[in-house]
Amino acid sequence: MARRSGFAVLTMMLAVSQIWSIAAGMAAPASGGPRHVVSMNLCADELVLRLADRDQVAAVTYLAHDPRGSTVAREAMGIAVTRGLSEEIVALRPDLVVAGAFTTRTTVGLLKRVGFPLLELGVPNDFEGVRAQIRTVAAALGHPARGEAMVADLDARLARVMPAAKPLRALVMRPNAFTVAPGSLGDAVIRAAGLANVAAELGRDRFGQVPLEAAALADADLIVLDEGEPGAPSLADALLHHPVLDALRRQGRTVSIPNRLWTCPGPQVAEVVALLAAAAHQRAAR
Amino acid sequence: MNAPLPPPMRVDRAVVGPRAVVWILGLLVLVLTVASIAVGYAPFDVPAAAGDLIAGRTTLPALVLWELRLPRALLGGLVGFSLGLTGAAMQGYLRNPLADPGILGISSAAALGAVGVFYGGFAASLSLALPLGGIAGAAVAALALNLVAARGGTTLGLILAGVALSSLAGAMTALALNLSPNPYAALEIVFWVMGSLADRSMDHVWLCLPLMALGWGLMLSTARALDALTLGEDTATSLGFHLVSVRLRLVTGAALAVGSGVAVSGAIGFVGLVVPHLVRPMVGARPGASLWPSGLAGAALMLAADLGVRLLAMRPELKLGVVTALVGAPFLIVLLLRERGRGA
Amino acid sequence: MSLTIAALDVRLGGRAILSDITLSLERGTLVGLVGPNGAGKTTLLRTLAGSVAPSKGRVDLDGMPLKGISRDTRAKRIAVFFQGAGAGWPMRVRDIVALGRLPHRRAFGGLDGADHAAIDRAMARTDVTRFAERTEPTLSTGERMRVLLARALAVEAEWLLADEPITALDPAHQLDAMTMLRSVALAGTGVVAVLHDITLAARFCDRIVVLGAGRLVADGRPDVALTDRLLADAFGVTACRGAGPDGTAYILPWSRSGPHPEDIDAAFPHQP
Repeated sequence: MARRSGFAVLTMMLAVSQIWSIAAGMAAPASGGPRHVVSMNLCADELVLRLADRDQVAAVTYLAHDPRGSTVAREAMGIAVTRGLSEEIVALRPDLVVAGAFTTRTTVGLLKRVGFPLLELGVPNDFEGVRAQIRTVAAALGHPARGEAMVADLDARLARVMPAAKPLRALVMRPNAFTVAPGSLGDAVIRAAGLANVAAELGRDRFGQVPLEAAALADADLIVLDEGEPGAPSLADALLHHPVLDALRRQGRTVSIPNRLWTCPGPQVAEVVALLAAAAHQRAAR
Repeated sequence: MNAPLPPPMRVDRAVVGPRAVVWILGLLVLVLTVASIAVGYAPFDVPAAAGDLIAGRTTLPALVLWELRLPRALLGGLVGFSLGLTGAAMQGYLRNPLADPGILGISSAAALGAVGVFYGGFAASLSLALPLGGIAGAAVAALALNLVAARGGTTLGLILAGVALSSLAGAMTALALNLSPNPYAALEIVFWVMGSLADRSMDHVWLCLPLMALGWGLMLSTARALDALTLGEDTATSLGFHLVSVRLRLVTGAALAVGSGVAVSGAIGFVGLVVPHLVRPMVGARPGASLWPSGLAGAALMLAADLGVRLLAMRPELKLGVVTALVGAPFLIVLLLRERGRGA
Repeated sequence: MSLTIAALDVRLGGRAILSDITLSLERGTLVGLVGPNGAGKTTLLRTLAGSVAPSKGRVDLDGMPLKGISRDTRAKRIAVFFQGAGAGWPMRVRDIVALGRLPHRRAFGGLDGADHAAIDRAMARTDVTRFAERTEPTLSTGERMRVLLARALAVEAEWLLADEPITALDPAHQLDAMTMLRSVALAGTGVVAVLHDITLAARFCDRIVVLGAGRLVADGRPDVALTDRLLADAFGVTACRGAGPDGTAYILPWSRSGPHPEDIDAAFPHQP
């Protein structure tokens, strides 16, 4: 027993000393941006992979590789993968860690204490926030020009969208019947397409899930679902194929927008606005 | 004897008693089913919707009534009946007042079977695979328990075996969910372990109903044998019962009923434990007579619990298993203390 | 009208419990099955009841092999009383006795008039009518035995096989039970009772069958089967003999016979 606890203490000491030596031996990133970027959540992955050089990126999360859930699955191919654990991140010796607002607080706290340069991304509520976030990440990566280009591209695409003439009522249904809360980025996207967010009508703060009853009885003109076949099954995805939603689909009320486009802020928001506006025109035409 | 009575009726409590209980409980289940249909998250005119439904008009309220309210109420009744009936049958057969499909690990094993089928993708090609998976899991557990029970031993031994089985099945369920490539899967263990009737559909009802009904039939056919078994196996044999057939019918029936129920609603515990105890004093403590009443009382309990879950207006919705555990676990503790007092 | 066994061998768990038993029983008699502990009396009873299959030999009911008779028919024709734990649930005495009518059940239906009459008769015979409405856990051991005996009587079968029906009863009820079994036998039922009390067995039974170490040792009327020699060899006791006030002979085991310092259990004859 004593030997085992002694062994544990020794291992811990080695680990701690290694972390400190890495931190001490780290120089500030050379000009031209960081060379070992590690991103710790899916939304960070998406921005980093789009804005950085391929050899700048040391690792992304495993979620980036899922073609169903990630918009950068192709770009992520061949990049190393982490599960967001402290030891993995430390072993990669990053010179920039990009984390999200909901990344595990203990991991973030440890990384800060050890002294890795950390960029924490918030959750933007509107398009201006998205633009600011793109610029921040691009600057941190040492490619501010790319950031500007992406923002310009986003704006151009938004400008091309013709919002719906009549403000049709739209309800977004994501896995587990989560919807888009009023005042969030998704809400701004819906309004940009010229639609009204039904979630705002549904009484209490619909941050969370919409009961399917309420979704059906809300009599929305457009119900936004991901109608693609799920890769691996889950109850969350199965819910979106409930017979009541199937019936609404037969009534022509649904429009399919891949769920992954709603997950993270980024250039894809313009695509969502465009898809919504197109669907609204189609529906209005009927 | 007494005043003259019309010949077919017997003034005998042993005959009228259980029958009256069945009628009363049946009425209760009916009332609760109607209440369950009337209560939900989005109010609408239920009678008007019912009218629309019957007339074939596809209005939104009619749609919600048929696709959401009705399945939820029906499943509450069906799953509750299965759990109550199985609990009564197992308590009668094992001569053990603590027997219950949840405690004995049958529900957990059924959940494991269903999880394996669902997350393995087999239910996509054949929807019947889901209840079959649950039934397979339940059958394995029931057979294992039968082996333990057949070796004799104490109440405690059987319950411990059940607890071990339950823990093992739960751990393997968590493992299976973690291994699933779908990122939502790992969080869904709460549904499988605690159970819920939220957002079920008529598909689920059609899926589990035939198999459940078969299971009920098998278990109900052992009613008289269960009565005879109160005197011991030798006496039951001498009264003309084929014990191997009885055991087979019970195990198969329990697996069918519990397995298909868990596959569509998750593992909901304690219903099968509590309900036979409530019903027993009303039917003279005969195990065979307690089967139908326990089933109906189980249905009533489930419907009432599900009503409670929705009236509590908590988002996210409280899982049904939480409510039944809040009622059932104290009940179990009281039972255990009474058993110890009796020196069982 | 007969229950016969021919050249019966029964092996259970690898051990020979019964060897080469041949027996022919008639209805209308009270047969006492006696023998030292472990002689195989309960096993013989269970073989007669059909719950144990013989390894060799056969059991015939009215000339037909017992195993060829359907369960239902056998249940109606042979009633069995086993010592066992009582019902695990607080069932009413009346309901327990009513279980004896299960072999006569119809597919859907409760108990009819004939059933209730049989139940009443059975309860009257064992003197348990006055606790018809009490529940089983409230009974004393003796009362419970009488209730279970009533259950066996309620079957009203051609044969009644009873395993130690009077063991837990007080003397008054023992005498009542033996008298009752005798009257049941005289009314036409074939009664076979495993008894430990040689005195009562000799006094009330028409016929005594003695088993020793799995073999048939004696079979006949009490005065013929229970000789002093047999009592010494099979039971290891000597007896006092006399006659009661009405002239009936009685046998009273009095002391051990011969040098047997240890109690030998016939089931394990080779233990020191």
